[in-house]
Amino acid sequence: MSSGLSVDNLVTTYGAVRALDGVSLQVQDGTITAVLGANGAGKTTLLRTINGLVRPVSGQIRYGDHDLLKTRVEDVVQAGIAHVPEGRGVITELTVEENLRLGALWRNDRATSDESLREMYAMFPPLAERRLQSADTLSGGERQMLVVARALMARPSLLLLDEPSLGLAPRITAQIMATLRRLREAQGLTVVLVEQNARSALSVADEAVVLNLGKVVAQGPAADLAADEKLRHAYLGF
Amino acid sequence: MFRFLNLTLAGISNGMIFAAVALALVLIWRATRIVNFAQGAMLMVTTFIAWDLSQNHGVNYWVCMIVAIVAGLIIGGVSERVLVRPVENGPPINAVIVTLGLFIFLQGLAGAIWGNAQAHSYPPGYSIIGYKVGSRTLLFSPNDLYIVLAVTVMLLALYLLFNRTPVGLRMRASAFNPEVSRLLGVHVGRLLTVGWALAAAVGAVAGLLAAGTQPGYVAPSGYFDALLVYGFTAAVIGGLDSSVGAVIGGLLLGVLLSWADAYIDNNVEGMYALIILIAVLMLRPNGLFARPAARRV
Repeated sequence: MSSGLSVDNLVTTYGAVRALDGVSLQVQDGTITAVLGANGAGKTTLLRTINGLVRPVSGQIRYGDHDLLKTRVEDVVQAGIAHVPEGRGVITELTVEENLRLGALWRNDRATSDESLREMYAMFPPLAERRLQSADTLSGGERQMLVVARALMARPSLLLLDEPSLGLAPRITAQIMATLRRLREAQGLTVVLVEQNARSALSVADEAVVLNLGKVVAQGPAADLAADEKLRHAYLGF
Repeated sequence: MFRFLNLTLAGISNGMIFAAVALALVLIWRATRIVNFAQGAMLMVTTFIAWDLSQNHGVNYWVCMIVAIVAGLIIGGVSERVLVRPVENGPPINAVIVTLGLFIFLQGLAGAIWGNAQAHSYPPGYSIIGYKVGSRTLLFSPNDLYIVLAVTVMLLALYLLFNRTPVGLRMRASAFNPEVSRLLGVHVGRLLTVGWALAAAVGAVAGLLAAGTQPGYVAPSGYFDALLVYGFTAAVIGGLDSSVGAVIGGLLLGVLLSWADAYIDNNVEGMYALIILIAVLMLRPNGLFARPAARRV
């Protein structure tokens, strides 16, 4: 069995625009990898191609034994991959608890779902206080907690996060990042983190990949990238 | 006063049937954002099937009901899968045309099988002779009570299905946010098929209940077309998005029409429905029960 997530020479186009132009990257199991870059660099497209919402023109994506290009979006979760959309991915018409339960429904196993629910409430107490409220009533930070918790309800081995810091207070972003690190230590969770906020992402990540106009312009240990002043100025904005 | 009470009771019984048709429309609207103009024709066909069994083969009322429901499930599910699926992601007008086409097709099909010339009668579930209060007869019969109870039970069953079961949660999630639902492992496409099947089954029950209220109800066009118009009016009054709204819209319409028929003139019932619809749309453009829509800038 091969391990980790491997993306090989991925090309995704929107009409004439090559949003991903031959992207390759390796994510080892149990690591946190940050995907960085400016708006329009192809970060979100990369996530959407990995989870199957967008089909590439060419290239390969494998996770463990799964060929993700042959997997339907609805079945990606069965390969152990959970997706955390931005805070807007909360289904506001449902209650907090319904949102959470949805994350574990694919298992068709009520007992496991109940257990995961208790874990999530322990991990994110504000959600427990609001469990029967409409998700519409949550603040931005609580919504982000909810989408992370909902993804964890699936008990994934790989978590894909899309801009978890967008529009959030730094303190809340830090809390979420700390939770991710804890999960990596405790359960060997693998995380791919797409971020515009490079500074905070590099502080939690083990590895990092910098995209620019659909191409990988740098990759390596997060600490090395953070120390590279030229790279920071050119692509990361700090 | 007694007359007023009587008219109101008669209106409630009719209103429950409108509510059931409205609910069928709401189920499809919520799942696919399509107004199913074929709803009336679908329930006409299921009612014809039940009528054929009952009339020509002497099949029991309740067995006919079950057959009609199953036929509804099949017609609804197959329609979504085969006809609606290909246009689901296109411009809304395409789906409207497809449902109109289905409407005409089903009407033609029923005519070809059962004939256009004659209108048939369907037996009511229970006696249509009104209950007596002292020496006076109410415009409310055991059959009316049966209609009210049948629709109420159906509403409760749907409520429990949507709010207490995993399938219901999946259906609501995929209606509200299909993309996020797919990422969470929900097979959105399958649930759309289930939604249409369910809606047509609800319609099938409404069709049978309605057919028992008037002699000569069962014909390819006529009463069933009017039923769709009233169901649609009720659904729009309720806001198209809300099942509670559909029920209240149906009851409101039933009672108002009953009053208008008696106190004004009963030859122009369709016009009253139109006036009520326009009045509601002028006062509350999103219907009485829709969530206030976010202003699109």
